Amino acid sequence: MSPPVLGRWTDSSGLSLGLLGVGNIGTVHLKSARAIDGVDVVAAADAVPENRARAERAGVDRTYDDYTTLLEDESLDAAVIAMPPFLHADAVERAAAAGVDVFVEKPLARSTDEADRLLEAAAEGGIAVGVDHTLRYQPDVRGVKQAYDEGRVGHVPYASMTRVNDGPLGRPPAADEPPDWALERDGAGGGSLLELGVHCFDVLEWLFGDLEVESAAVDATLEVPVEDAATVLMRAPETGTTVTLHCGSYQWEELPEVNTRVRLEGVTGTISNADHLPTNFYADAAKSALSNVASRVTGDDPDIFGPTFYYQAHYEALSAFCEAIQRDETPPVDGRDGRRTLELAETAYELAAASDRDGVERPEVRT
Amino acid sequence: MTVDRPADDSSDDRRTDGGSDHQADATDDHRTDGGNVGAAATDTEPLDGDTESAGRIRVRGTLVEPGTAGGWCPDIDTRMATLETPLSSLLTSELDITPGTNALADADRITLVPDAHYPYHPSSGVVTDPAVVGATVAILERRIDGEVVVAGRSDDTISFERTAEYLGYESLLERFDADPVDLASEGHTDTRVTVGDDTVSTLVPSRLTRSTVVTMPSLRPTETGRVAGGLRTLAAMLEDGTDETDASADSRALGAARAIDPALSVLDATTVYAGEPYAANTLFAGPAAAVDAVGTSLLERSFEADDVVRRAFDDDRPSITVTPVGVDPESFDLESLRAALPTGGLPPADDTPAPVTAAYRLYAAVSGDVVPPQLEGGE
Repeated sequence: MSPPVLGRWTDSSGLSLGLLGVGNIGTVHLKSARAIDGVDVVAAADAVPENRARAERAGVDRTYDDYTTLLEDESLDAAVIAMPPFLHADAVERAAAAGVDVFVEKPLARSTDEADRLLEAAAEGGIAVGVDHTLRYQPDVRGVKQAYDEGRVGHVPYASMTRVNDGPLGRPPAADEPPDWALERDGAGGGSLLELGVHCFDVLEWLFGDLEVESAAVDATLEVPVEDAATVLMRAPETGTTVTLHCGSYQWEELPEVNTRVRLEGVTGTISNADHLPTNFYADAAKSALSNVASRVTGDDPDIFGPTFYYQAHYEALSAFCEAIQRDETPPVDGRDGRRTLELAETAYELAAASDRDGVERPEVRT
Repeated sequence: MTVDRPADDSSDDRRTDGGSDHQADATDDHRTDGGNVGAAATDTEPLDGDTESAGRIRVRGTLVEPGTAGGWCPDIDTRMATLETPLSSLLTSELDITPGTNALADADRITLVPDAHYPYHPSSGVVTDPAVVGATVAILERRIDGEVVVAGRSDDTISFERTAEYLGYESLLERFDADPVDLASEGHTDTRVTVGDDTVSTLVPSRLTRSTVVTMPSLRPTETGRVAGGLRTLAAMLEDGTDETDASADSRALGAARAIDPALSVLDATTVYAGEPYAANTLFAGPAAAVDAVGTSLLERSFEADDVVRRAFDDDRPSITVTPVGVDPESFDLESLRAALPTGGLPPADDTPAPVTAAYRLYAAVSGDVVPPQLEGGE
């Protein structure tokens, strides 16, 4: 596969950015983009009127109910694709036809086959593809990476990662209708492995190099069409580390608490992301407030989404993508990285199906 | 509230004295408890000394054999097998009375109305365990010839079809000659009921007025902290927004109960939610209002502050006796159960707790930072 042909972006007035999808996560990207130096958010598209209205309140001048019209009518350098996974491939193809670089929400696609189609279109159109794998931008995960790379615990024979949240069904009291697509194979490509597991695969390969999936189990705690729990056993040959991953969409989540655990068991001790997490939301907010007020005086860059490290990670990921585009560089987390996470997920599905513990079928998405 | 200690035969004298032997007349202002409500009582005042003839209402309670380690058995077949014996004990009096005198035994059509308002995992206690419903269907199908359905209602949040599928009702009921029914898609009867000083006019699903209704709530609080209960579960089955009489939600709940006149309420307290789940492994059955009063007491909610439960007894304070039934009635201890149960509420309605949202917005105002949509707090 050819790498994206870069070098097209030359306008020094600012990177003109469009948002294709401004639901919750799309709005996080919108607000992030408006805070990035050298980025101009020129338009947003969403089929839901309330989402368009929110984008307008957030400062977007032009909104569209159809992203294809936006791509036709606007002159963009880049676009954020924050629509459901079943729309990613078509959206990338249309962006490629328009010569617009893309930053795609995870999962990149519903399958590696679909990712290949998407990346081929991108290559033909000469556009760059970035993927919003944000965990590696979180301060706690960065702390783990730094400590590991500095050899703080010596050899790490075993590592574990857990990412659990409440998925599309949420927690009581019920508020909004859970989207159909998020619980359908045709819509999302799979369940918690594609919703959360791909983030974890990205982090684990970032830490340990190439992973080999050795076994997996998937489960559904309710009779939903996709798995809401998955456990994967892997081996990292480069570092000699055995890795277990558990991801699940079954646990009630109450922000600002998030359940992400990374533990590296080394010869001389343990590296845990818990040691690098902000300890108190309110104290962190106060600290960020003081920092931002000071930055007005000193001219330093202020914190964006300061007290909430997981939204801050989205900002950092988009900022890094935009910076790469502005420098004519390959995005730091690119389409190949996104496809690789899908490849690992598919291997896990195959191994889980082979053991067929509970009859949860492997997702099959026709593209 | 009192607990009857079992005599030689705990199956004696179990008949509920609720108004189960007459169908609701949608235009009547009749009492759900059959007018057999006795002396005043509170959650904390035991009512020893009342006699049944003086108006004591009987609710039956039974223990369920604890599940596997961890308090929850994920296999629905195992749960149903465990539940059948205690449920049979609870339902015996409804099914064995001389033909012609009992609503369930004589019913041509039985509609079970569980708490299936959203597909939350039943181990949370926030919805009725489908295994309780399935075991009930199994018992009813063995004992009566009538049609049995399990009813729910689609609302703005989610369709009942999806909820029934995700909770497993669809596959569960395929085993029986029973169907899940979405009351929102069926006919309704314009019903006017007098509740105290209010006249409640609403559209009640016709199925609920023309069949024998068993409400099957889970023991949990509502968003406002009251016990969810059978009466409110029934109220959730009404056509929304059709009340032209400006009656309160509580009056509508009472109106629904009086129009529908449920024959029985089976309270699923196998897993209770009150701020956290607790495997209480207990079931109750009896007249709907009385069972709700028991739930109110167990969750340590105020009887007086709950308009629905209090007004269901026409502002009298009922005398309710919980009679242990089942295989181990000696071990049934209401006070120990009450002491063991948590007393909290549902999680906060917003995705993010209000203090966090407020703190973030204050921070953003001071620092100039941006606010993620999840923390806008209705901005």
